Parts: sequence; C-alpha cells; structure tokens
Amino acid sequence: MAKTHAGPTETDPILHRWSTLVADVLLDHRVHMFGYVPDEVSGHLLRRLEAEPACTVVCCTREEEAVATVAGAYLGGKRGAVVLQTSGIGNSMNALGSFVVPYQIPMLLIVSERGGLGEFNPAQVPLGHAVPRVLDALGIQTFPLTPEAEIAPVLAGAAELAFATMMPVAVVLTTRLTGGKTLR
Amino acid sequence: MNRLDAIRRIVPLLGDAAVVSNLGRNTYDLYEASDRPENFYMWGAMGSTSSVGLGIAMAQPARRVVVLDGDGSMLMSLGCLATVAAYRPANLILVVLDNETYETTGGQATHSGRCADLEAVARGAGLAHTATVTTVDDFAAALGRALRDPGPWFILAKVEQATSFARVPRRPIFIKDRFMAALGTTAG
Repeated sequence: MAKTHAGPTETDPILHRWSTLVADVLLDHRVHMFGYVPDEVSGHLLRRLEAEPACTVVCCTREEEAVATVAGAYLGGKRGAVVLQTSGIGNSMNALGSFVVPYQIPMLLIVSERGGLGEFNPAQVPLGHAVPRVLDALGIQTFPLTPEAEIAPVLAGAAELAFATMMPVAVVLTTRLTGGKTLR
Repeated sequence: MNRLDAIRRIVPLLGDAAVVSNLGRNTYDLYEASDRPENFYMWGAMGSTSSVGLGIAMAQPARRVVVLDGDGSMLMSLGCLATVAAYRPANLILVVLDNETYETTGGQATHSGRCADLEAVARGAGLAHTATVTTVDDFAAALGRALRDPGPWFILAKVEQATSFARVPRRPIFIKDRFMAALGTTAG
C-alpha cells in the first residue's frame, strides 16, 4: 500500500482516471448539484464538476449543511450528491436521520474512505470503520467503488437506486481506488 | 411582536415565494397563518433549515425563497451564514424569528437573549443586506423590500414566545410531494 502513503497528486493518471469515470456517470444521471467539505482525495473530482456549466458546486462549512443544501436543491428540481469524508458522515447524522430519510429525499453520498487500509491517524479509525453500519442503521445502503472497472456500473446502479426509490445511497471512494490521503 | 401576528402580516406579500419553516413553533404558526402548497414544513433537522432554503434558492433562481428559521436553530449552524454569503443567491431571504428561547423544548434561554446579536453575526459572516426589526410593521416593510430587491437578505425579527399549537399534519412525504408539485419540480 505504498501508494496510500504517497497520496494522489494533480498529475497522477490514476487520479484522473477514477475521477473522470465518477464525473461522467454523475453527469449521465443528471446529478448536477454538489455540496462538499474540502478533501484532498475528492479535490480533482470537484474541480472537474465545477468546470461543467450544468453543475452547481457548493463548498459548505459542515457536512450536515451540505446534506441539507443538496436536499433543498432536490426540492427545487436538481439532483445532487454530497462529497465528504467518512468523518463527515458523523457530522451529517441528524440531517440524514430526521430529514432526508423520513422525507424520502434522494441523493448520493460520495464518501472518501478514512480509517481503513493505509490509515495513519488513529482518530480516523473508529468512525471510518463504523460508517457502513451507521448508515445501514438508518436504512441507507453503502457500496464500495473498487476496483476501477466496477466504478461505472456500481455508481450508475447507486444513482438509479437513489433517484428511483427516493432514498439517499452512499458510495465509498476506497483507499485502494484513490490512494488515500497524504501523510503531512 | 407576536410571532403569529407577524407571519399573518407577511402572508399577503409572499406571492408564489417558497417558504421553509423551522421545526416547532415556526412550522405551527406558518401553517396556522396560511397553509400554502409552497410552504415546506420541517419536522426535524434542527440547524438545517436555512441550508435547505439555500439549496432551493440555488436550484430555483427565478423564485423567491423565504426561510423562517429560529434563533436556536440558527445558533446551531452559524457556518451556513458564511456559505450563503459566499454564494450570494439573490433570491434568498433568511428570516430568524428570534424569541430568545428554545420554545419547543420548554422555553429555555438561548444565547441570543444573553449576548449573541445574530444580525451582527450575519454581517460578520459576509452578508451585506441585513436588518433587525421589533414591530410587525417594520417586519412587513423589511420583508417587502427583500421580496423586491436583490439579496441575499438576513432579517432578524425579535418576537415573543407563545401562541399556536396548530395541528400541522406530520406527513413528511406529503409535504414534500405537494411542495414539489407547486414548484413544478416533481419530474426529478
């Protein structure tokens, strides 16, 4: 897992490949509203989306705010996704559990993984490890985006599941896919 | 000013504006003042109401969006004021109906009655168009201007606690479906 510790860089062809695949599927499914809290792993994906005229990309101060903003945009007619780290799921619980789920507001949660393979920070482990079970407790399904060949079918399936059945659905940008975060 | 009186006074000004009301008494009073299909009643997610309004406003730039938030909810998520200021949706009007208490949970004091000036916080977050109003007439005037002139706006309306216990239907999916039909956004 040397790649995990090296982390992605702007010129990394692997980074360009997965983030391009993810962006293409999102655009194919008319996912045009994005709320996020900045993260090294998702930075390139977000810059790609910002370059799309159809997309609105909102940098939020807290992930719960991103969930609420993307939910509001759905009410206003725009499909959306929240781009966040696993720790951000912890910050989003009440907006998901007492708003998005009971109102059946669909969205994608694009979660960059912390706390698993290659993790260097003990503070990231407990919640990172718990995220799929925490989401499952709210009835939210989670799908890992690994390996690269499965990004398109898994993400497309997650988008269909979310917007056809009116539920939030999570996909995980695993460290095996992204290389994870740089140790600084 | 009495909150229910204040909301009743602004209803005729709203036109087809979308209105998002914070859980608890703001939702009760908006429902009692006027149950419009363009009303979106929150039943949970304290602290998220203004952000829901931001999302609607960004997706529907041609429609005015009025948020009736509460002081307790606003204090829970002050960061969203900076986000609103950063993206400046001209059609968004944030109203905080500030009764200086957590009324729905039993009337415990909020910090807005002790020390926190929420209009000053909004200005500090970068919002340029702000007002504090203490009478129904001034509230109606401020909201009327905000519905006319480009924002985003932040209106702090000092209100008294008390009033209605309206029987608002606790039917989140119905509220959502009716709201989206009114906005013409159901196709998803």
